[in-house]
Amino acid sequence: MFPALDISTSGLAAQRIRMNAQSSNIANISTTHNERGEPEAYQPRFVVFQTDESVGAHGAAGVRVASVEIADVEPIWRYEPHHPDAVKEGPHAGYVAYPNVNMMTEFTDALEAARAYEANLGVIDITKDMQNQTLRILA
Amino acid sequence: MLTNLFTSTTIPVLEEVAKFSQLRHTTLAGNIANLDTPGYKFRDLSVDDFQSRLQEAIETRRQPANPYRAGRYAPHGEPAHAMAADEPHTILYHDKSNVELEQQVSEMVKNHMQHNLALTVMNQQFRLLSTAISGRL
Amino acid sequence: MNPIQGIQPLPPSVTALSGGPNASGGGKSFNDFLLDSIHQVNAMQQDADRAVENLFSGGEANPAEVLTAVQKADVAFRMMLQVRNKMVAAFEEVQNLRI
Repeated sequence: MFPALDISTSGLAAQRIRMNAQSSNIANISTTHNERGEPEAYQPRFVVFQTDESVGAHGAAGVRVASVEIADVEPIWRYEPHHPDAVKEGPHAGYVAYPNVNMMTEFTDALEAARAYEANLGVIDITKDMQNQTLRILA
Repeated sequence: MLTNLFTSTTIPVLEEVAKFSQLRHTTLAGNIANLDTPGYKFRDLSVDDFQSRLQEAIETRRQPANPYRAGRYAPHGEPAHAMAADEPHTILYHDKSNVELEQQVSEMVKNHMQHNLALTVMNQQFRLLSTAISGRL
Repeated sequence: MNPIQGIQPLPPSVTALSGGPNASGGGKSFNDFLLDSIHQVNAMQQDADRAVENLFSGGEANPAEVLTAVQKADVAFRMMLQVRNKMVAAFEEVQNLRI
Protein backbone atom coordinates (compact mmCIF):
# COMPACT_ATOMS: atom_id res chain seq x y z
CA MET A 1 0.00 0.00 0.00
CA PHE A 2 2.82 2.47 0.60
CA PRO A 3 5.55 1.65 -1.89
CA ALA A 4 7.36 4.89 -1.08
CA LEU A 5 7.87 3.67 2.48
CA ASP A 6 9.31 0.36 1.29
CA ILE A 7 11.66 2.14 -1.07
CA SER A 8 12.96 4.49 1.62
CA THR A 9 13.36 1.61 4.04
CA SER A 10 15.46 -0.27 1.51
CA GLY A 11 17.61 2.85 1.22
CA LEU A 12 18.03 3.02 4.99
CA ALA A 13 18.96 -0.65 5.21
CA ALA A 14 21.50 -0.39 2.39
CA GLN A 15 23.20 2.66 3.92
CA ARG A 16 23.33 0.93 7.29
CA ILE A 17 25.10 -2.08 5.76
CA ARG A 18 27.54 0.31 4.11
CA MET A 19 28.15 1.95 7.47
CA ASN A 20 28.82 -1.47 8.99
CA ALA A 21 31.48 -2.16 6.39
CA GLN A 22 33.14 1.20 7.06
CA SER A 23 33.04 0.69 10.84
CA SER A 24 34.63 -2.69 10.36
CA ASN A 25 37.39 -1.14 8.26
CA ILE A 26 38.14 1.59 10.79
CA ALA A 27 38.04 -0.81 13.72
CA ASN A 28 40.49 -3.14 12.01
CA ILE A 29 42.96 -0.52 10.93
CA SER A 30 45.78 -2.19 12.84
CA THR A 31 44.76 -5.81 12.58
CA THR A 32 47.72 -7.88 11.56
CA HIS A 33 46.48 -11.43 11.88
CA ASN A 34 43.24 -13.17 11.07
CA GLU A 35 40.93 -15.20 13.33
CA ARG A 36 43.02 -18.32 12.89
CA GLY A 37 46.06 -16.59 14.29
CA GLU A 38 47.97 -16.58 11.01
CA PRO A 39 49.75 -13.38 10.10
CA GLU A 40 47.58 -11.77 7.45
CA ALA A 41 46.67 -8.11 7.06
CA TYR A 42 43.00 -7.21 7.23
CA GLN A 43 41.59 -6.49 3.77
CA PRO A 44 39.11 -3.59 3.68
CA ARG A 45 35.51 -4.42 2.87
CA PHE A 46 33.29 -2.39 0.54
CA VAL A 47 29.63 -2.76 -0.46
CA VAL A 48 28.18 -2.89 -3.94
CA PHE A 49 24.74 -1.30 -4.33
CA GLN A 50 22.21 -2.41 -6.89
CA THR A 51 18.82 -1.10 -7.93
CA ASP A 52 16.12 -3.42 -6.63
CA GLU A 53 13.11 -3.51 -8.92
CA SER A 54 11.20 -5.90 -6.65
CA VAL A 55 10.75 -3.13 -4.06
CA GLY A 56 8.60 -0.28 -5.30
CA ALA A 57 5.94 0.20 -7.93
CA HIS A 58 5.08 2.09 -11.13
CA GLY A 59 8.63 2.26 -12.35
CA ALA A 60 10.17 3.37 -9.09
CA ALA A 61 12.73 1.05 -7.57
CA GLY A 62 14.47 0.56 -4.26
CA VAL A 63 18.06 -0.38 -3.58
CA ARG A 64 19.80 -3.43 -2.18
CA VAL A 65 23.32 -4.45 -1.31
CA ALA A 66 24.37 -6.85 -4.06
CA SER A 67 27.44 -8.04 -2.21
CA VAL A 68 30.03 -7.12 0.36
CA GLU A 69 33.33 -7.37 -1.48
CA ILE A 70 36.77 -7.73 0.00
CA ALA A 71 39.17 -5.32 -1.59
CA ASP A 72 42.25 -6.96 -2.99
CA VAL A 73 44.89 -4.40 -2.13
CA GLU A 74 48.53 -4.77 -1.28
CA PRO A 75 49.05 -4.37 2.49
CA ILE A 76 51.41 -1.79 3.94
CA TRP A 77 54.69 -3.34 4.96
CA ARG A 78 56.53 -2.09 8.06
CA TYR A 79 59.84 -3.30 9.30
CA GLU A 80 59.31 -4.72 12.79
CA PRO A 81 61.47 -7.83 13.16
CA HIS A 82 60.46 -8.43 16.79
CA HIS A 83 56.71 -8.37 16.07
CA PRO A 84 55.12 -11.84 16.47
CA ASP A 85 53.43 -11.43 13.07
CA ALA A 86 56.60 -10.57 11.21
CA VAL A 87 57.24 -12.65 8.14
CA LYS A 88 59.98 -15.21 8.82
CA GLU A 89 61.47 -15.64 5.41
CA GLY A 90 61.13 -14.48 1.85
CA PRO A 91 61.36 -11.02 0.28
CA HIS A 92 59.45 -9.45 3.20
CA ALA A 93 61.45 -11.07 6.00
CA GLY A 94 61.15 -9.03 9.18
CA TYR A 95 58.24 -6.99 7.81
CA VAL A 96 54.71 -6.94 9.25
CA ALA A 97 51.74 -6.58 6.90
CA TYR A 98 49.40 -3.78 8.07
CA PRO A 99 45.98 -3.21 6.52
CA ASN A 100 45.87 -0.71 3.71
CA VAL A 101 42.96 1.24 5.20
CA ASN A 102 42.99 4.98 4.68
CA MET A 103 41.31 6.57 7.68
CA MET A 104 40.39 9.74 5.81
CA THR A 105 38.70 7.88 2.98
CA GLU A 106 36.74 5.72 5.36
CA PHE A 107 35.60 8.71 7.41
CA THR A 108 34.48 10.65 4.36
CA ASP A 109 32.58 7.63 3.11
CA ALA A 110 30.96 7.24 6.51
CA LEU A 111 29.87 10.89 6.41
CA GLU A 112 28.30 10.32 3.03
CA ALA A 113 26.51 7.22 4.26
CA ALA A 114 25.14 9.26 7.16
CA ARG A 115 23.98 11.99 4.78
CA ALA A 116 22.20 9.49 2.56
CA TYR A 117 20.62 7.89 5.63
CA GLU A 118 19.27 11.26 6.73
CA ALA A 119 17.95 11.98 3.26
CA ASN A 120 15.96 8.75 3.31
CA LEU A 121 14.63 9.62 6.76
CA GLY A 122 13.47 12.99 5.39
CA VAL A 123 11.64 11.23 2.58
CA ILE A 124 9.87 9.02 5.11
CA ASP A 125 8.71 12.15 6.95
CA ILE A 126 7.24 13.58 3.78
CA THR A 127 5.54 10.26 2.96
CA LYS A 128 3.93 10.21 6.39
CA ASP A 129 2.72 13.78 5.99
CA MET A 130 1.18 13.04 2.60
CA GLN A 131 -0.66 10.03 4.02
CA ASN A 132 -1.98 12.09 6.93
CA GLN A 133 -3.19 14.80 4.59
CA THR A 134 -4.95 12.19 2.50
CA LEU A 135 -6.65 10.81 5.60
CA ARG A 136 -8.07 14.26 6.28
CA ILE A 137 -10.38 13.92 3.31
CA LEU A 138 -12.56 11.79 5.53
CA ALA A 139 -12.45 14.08 8.55
CA MET B 1 -27.60 12.39 -10.72
CA LEU B 2 -25.35 11.41 -7.89
CA THR B 3 -22.18 11.32 -9.99
CA ASN B 4 -23.07 14.68 -11.55
CA LEU B 5 -23.04 16.09 -8.06
CA PHE B 6 -19.25 15.84 -8.06
CA THR B 7 -18.46 16.49 -11.68
CA SER B 8 -19.85 20.01 -11.38
CA THR B 9 -17.13 20.83 -8.84
CA THR B 10 -13.38 20.71 -9.20
CA ILE B 11 -13.20 17.51 -7.13
CA PRO B 12 -12.31 15.14 -10.02
CA VAL B 13 -9.48 17.43 -11.14
CA LEU B 14 -8.09 17.63 -7.62
CA GLU B 15 -8.35 13.88 -7.22
CA GLU B 16 -6.24 13.37 -10.35
CA VAL B 17 -3.65 15.85 -9.13
CA ALA B 18 -3.42 14.12 -5.74
CA LYS B 19 -3.09 10.68 -7.37
CA PHE B 20 -0.38 11.87 -9.73
CA SER B 21 1.62 13.55 -6.98
CA GLN B 22 1.54 10.40 -4.89
CA LEU B 23 2.86 8.34 -7.80
CA ARG B 24 5.56 10.90 -8.46
CA HIS B 25 6.51 10.87 -4.78
CA THR B 26 7.15 7.13 -5.00
CA THR B 27 9.41 7.62 -8.00
CA LEU B 28 11.40 10.40 -6.34
CA ALA B 29 11.76 8.30 -3.17
CA GLY B 30 13.29 5.61 -5.37
CA ASN B 31 15.80 8.14 -6.69
CA ILE B 32 16.88 9.15 -3.20
CA ALA B 33 17.19 5.52 -2.07
CA ASN B 34 19.46 4.90 -5.08
CA LEU B 35 21.70 7.91 -4.37
CA ASP B 36 24.86 5.86 -4.19
CA THR B 37 24.04 3.13 -6.64
CA PRO B 38 26.56 3.21 -9.47
CA GLY B 39 25.08 3.53 -12.96
CA TYR B 40 21.61 4.55 -11.76
CA LYS B 41 19.94 7.22 -13.88
CA PHE B 42 17.22 9.15 -12.15
CA ARG B 43 13.61 8.51 -13.10
CA ASP B 44 10.76 10.97 -12.97
CA LEU B 45 7.15 11.30 -14.06
CA SER B 46 6.62 14.06 -16.58
CA VAL B 47 4.74 16.90 -14.93
CA ASP B 48 4.26 18.84 -18.17
CA ASP B 49 2.73 15.80 -19.81
CA PHE B 50 0.32 15.32 -16.92
CA GLN B 51 -0.67 18.97 -16.90
CA SER B 52 -1.37 19.09 -20.63
CA ARG B 53 -3.48 15.93 -20.44
CA LEU B 54 -5.34 17.37 -17.46
CA GLN B 55 -6.01 20.52 -19.47
CA GLU B 56 -7.39 18.45 -22.33
CA ALA B 57 -9.63 16.46 -20.04
CA ILE B 58 -10.97 19.66 -18.50
CA GLU B 59 -11.76 21.07 -21.94
CA THR B 60 -13.52 17.86 -22.97
CA ARG B 61 -15.61 17.90 -19.86
CA ARG B 62 -16.67 21.50 -20.40
CA GLN B 63 -18.08 20.91 -23.89
CA PRO B 64 -20.84 18.32 -23.69
CA ALA B 65 -20.56 17.71 -27.43
CA ASN B 66 -20.39 13.97 -26.92
CA PRO B 67 -23.65 13.03 -25.20
CA TYR B 68 -22.16 9.91 -23.67
CA ARG B 69 -19.35 11.83 -22.08
CA ALA B 70 -21.43 14.78 -20.94
CA GLY B 71 -21.24 14.95 -17.21
CA ARG B 72 -18.72 12.13 -16.91
CA TYR B 73 -15.16 13.05 -16.20
CA ALA B 74 -12.93 11.30 -18.72
CA PRO B 75 -10.55 9.06 -16.76
CA HIS B 76 -6.84 9.55 -17.01
CA GLY B 77 -5.12 6.25 -17.35
CA GLU B 78 -1.63 5.63 -16.06
CA PRO B 79 0.59 8.68 -16.28
CA ALA B 80 3.48 8.30 -18.64
CA HIS B 81 6.75 7.24 -17.08
CA ALA B 82 9.40 9.49 -18.48
CA MET B 83 12.87 8.04 -18.14
CA ALA B 84 14.65 11.34 -17.72
CA ALA B 85 18.12 10.32 -18.83
CA ASP B 86 20.91 12.84 -19.32
CA GLU B 87 19.19 16.03 -18.26
CA PRO B 88 21.47 18.92 -19.27
CA HIS B 89 21.60 20.50 -15.83
CA THR B 90 22.90 17.48 -13.96
CA ILE B 91 26.43 16.20 -14.17
CA LEU B 92 27.45 12.61 -14.72
CA TYR B 93 29.43 11.48 -11.72
CA HIS B 94 32.40 9.17 -11.97
CA ASP B 95 30.26 6.18 -11.01
CA LYS B 96 27.93 6.92 -13.96
CA SER B 97 25.01 7.96 -11.76
CA ASN B 98 23.49 11.39 -12.27
CA VAL B 99 21.37 11.82 -9.17
CA GLU B 100 21.89 15.10 -7.36
CA LEU B 101 20.50 15.03 -3.85
CA GLU B 102 19.57 18.72 -3.71
CA GLN B 103 17.63 18.59 -6.96
CA GLN B 104 15.74 15.46 -5.94
CA VAL B 105 14.85 16.92 -2.55
CA SER B 106 13.60 20.15 -4.10
CA GLU B 107 11.46 18.25 -6.62
CA MET B 108 10.05 16.17 -3.80
CA VAL B 109 9.21 19.22 -1.71
CA LYS B 110 7.49 20.93 -4.66
CA ASN B 111 5.52 17.78 -5.34
CA HIS B 112 4.56 17.57 -1.67
CA MET B 113 3.28 21.14 -1.65
CA GLN B 114 1.24 20.52 -4.78
CA HIS B 115 -0.28 17.43 -3.19
CA ASN B 116 -1.21 19.27 0.01
CA LEU B 117 -2.65 22.20 -1.95
CA ALA B 118 -4.86 19.88 -3.99
CA LEU B 119 -6.09 18.08 -0.89
CA THR B 120 -6.78 21.29 1.01
CA VAL B 121 -8.94 22.64 -1.79
CA MET B 122 -10.65 19.26 -2.12
CA ASN B 123 -11.53 19.28 1.58
CA GLN B 124 -13.03 22.73 1.21
CA GLN B 125 -15.13 21.58 -1.75
CA PHE B 126 -16.46 18.62 0.22
CA ARG B 127 -17.28 20.83 3.17
CA LEU B 128 -19.14 23.22 0.89
CA LEU B 129 -21.16 20.37 -0.58
CA SER B 130 -22.03 19.14 2.92
CA THR B 131 -23.13 22.62 3.90
CA ALA B 132 -25.32 22.94 0.82
CA ILE B 133 -26.87 19.53 1.35
CA SER B 134 -27.65 20.03 5.02
CA GLY B 135 -28.84 23.60 4.61
CA ARG B 136 -27.29 24.47 7.95
CA LEU B 137 -24.10 26.54 8.17
CA MET C 1 -2.72 53.80 8.85
CA ASN C 2 -6.23 54.94 8.20
CA PRO C 3 -7.63 57.41 10.74
CA ILE C 4 -10.61 56.09 12.61
CA GLN C 5 -13.75 57.38 10.96
CA GLY C 6 -17.18 57.91 12.34
CA ILE C 7 -20.01 55.59 11.42
CA GLN C 8 -20.87 56.04 7.76
CA PRO C 9 -24.44 56.45 6.57
CA LEU C 10 -25.92 53.33 5.04
CA PRO C 11 -24.89 52.69 1.43
CA PRO C 12 -27.57 53.54 -1.13
CA SER C 13 -28.17 49.89 -2.16
CA VAL C 14 -29.54 49.09 1.28
CA THR C 15 -31.78 52.16 1.49
CA ALA C 16 -33.21 51.36 -1.91
CA LEU C 17 -34.14 47.93 -0.57
CA SER C 18 -36.34 49.27 2.17
CA GLY C 19 -38.60 50.86 -0.43
CA GLY C 20 -38.43 47.71 -2.59
CA PRO C 21 -41.59 45.64 -2.28
CA ASN C 22 -43.74 48.77 -2.04
CA ALA C 23 -42.24 50.60 -5.00
CA SER C 24 -43.74 48.85 -8.00
CA GLY C 25 -42.58 51.11 -10.80
CA GLY C 26 -39.08 52.44 -10.28
CA GLY C 27 -36.00 50.71 -8.94
CA LYS C 28 -35.18 47.07 -8.54
CA SER C 29 -37.60 44.84 -6.69
CA PHE C 30 -36.43 42.55 -3.94
CA ASN C 31 -37.01 39.64 -6.29
CA ASP C 32 -34.56 41.01 -8.85
CA PHE C 33 -32.07 41.83 -6.14
CA LEU C 34 -32.26 38.27 -4.87
CA LEU C 35 -31.85 36.71 -8.30
CA ASP C 36 -28.92 39.00 -9.01
CA SER C 37 -27.21 37.92 -5.84
CA ILE C 38 -27.70 34.27 -6.69
CA HIS C 39 -26.17 34.83 -10.12
CA GLN C 40 -23.28 36.67 -8.54
CA VAL C 41 -22.58 33.87 -6.10
CA ASN C 42 -22.73 31.37 -8.94
CA ALA C 43 -20.34 33.47 -11.01
CA MET C 44 -17.90 33.65 -8.11
CA GLN C 45 -18.04 29.88 -7.71
CA GLN C 46 -17.40 29.38 -11.43
CA ASP C 47 -14.49 31.80 -11.34
CA ALA C 48 -12.98 30.04 -8.36
CA ASP C 49 -13.35 26.68 -10.13
CA ARG C 50 -11.65 28.04 -13.26
CA ALA C 51 -8.83 29.47 -11.16
CA VAL C 52 -8.25 26.12 -9.43
CA GLU C 53 -8.24 24.22 -12.73
CA ASN C 54 -5.85 26.75 -14.20
CA LEU C 55 -3.51 26.46 -11.26
CA PHE C 56 -3.22 22.69 -11.49
CA SER C 57 -2.98 22.36 -15.25
CA GLY C 58 0.09 24.49 -15.57
CA GLY C 59 -1.21 28.04 -15.89
CA GLU C 60 0.76 30.80 -14.18
CA ALA C 61 -1.73 31.23 -11.36
CA ASN C 62 -0.66 32.48 -7.98
CA PRO C 63 -1.73 29.99 -5.29
CA ALA C 64 -2.57 32.80 -2.87
CA GLU C 65 -4.91 34.42 -5.40
CA VAL C 66 -6.58 31.12 -6.19
CA LEU C 67 -7.11 30.19 -2.56
CA THR C 68 -8.48 33.65 -1.78
CA ALA C 69 -10.92 33.38 -4.68
CA VAL C 70 -12.03 29.96 -3.43
CA GLN C 71 -12.54 31.25 0.07
CA LYS C 72 -14.45 34.32 -1.12
CA ALA C 73 -16.80 32.14 -3.14
CA ASP C 74 -17.24 29.93 -0.11
CA VAL C 75 -18.15 32.83 2.17
CA ALA C 76 -20.48 34.33 -0.44
CA PHE C 77 -22.25 31.01 -0.74
CA ARG C 78 -22.65 30.68 3.00
CA MET C 79 -24.08 34.17 3.25
CA MET C 80 -26.56 33.37 0.49
CA LEU C 81 -27.52 30.20 2.32
CA GLN C 82 -28.10 32.12 5.54
CA VAL C 83 -30.22 34.72 3.72
CA ARG C 84 -32.29 31.94 2.21
CA ASN C 85 -32.76 30.27 5.59
CA LYS C 86 -33.95 33.53 7.12
CA MET C 87 -36.37 34.07 4.27
CA VAL C 88 -37.82 30.60 4.60
CA ALA C 89 -38.17 31.10 8.35
CA ALA C 90 -39.92 34.44 7.81
CA PHE C 91 -42.24 32.86 5.24
CA GLU C 92 -43.17 30.06 7.60
CA GLU C 93 -43.79 32.51 10.38
CA VAL C 94 -46.13 34.51 8.15
CA GLN C 95 -47.87 31.29 7.14
CA ASN C 96 -48.48 30.33 10.73
CA LEU C 97 -50.23 33.61 11.53
CA ARG C 98 -53.75 32.93 12.56
CA ILE C 99 -56.08 35.09 10.55
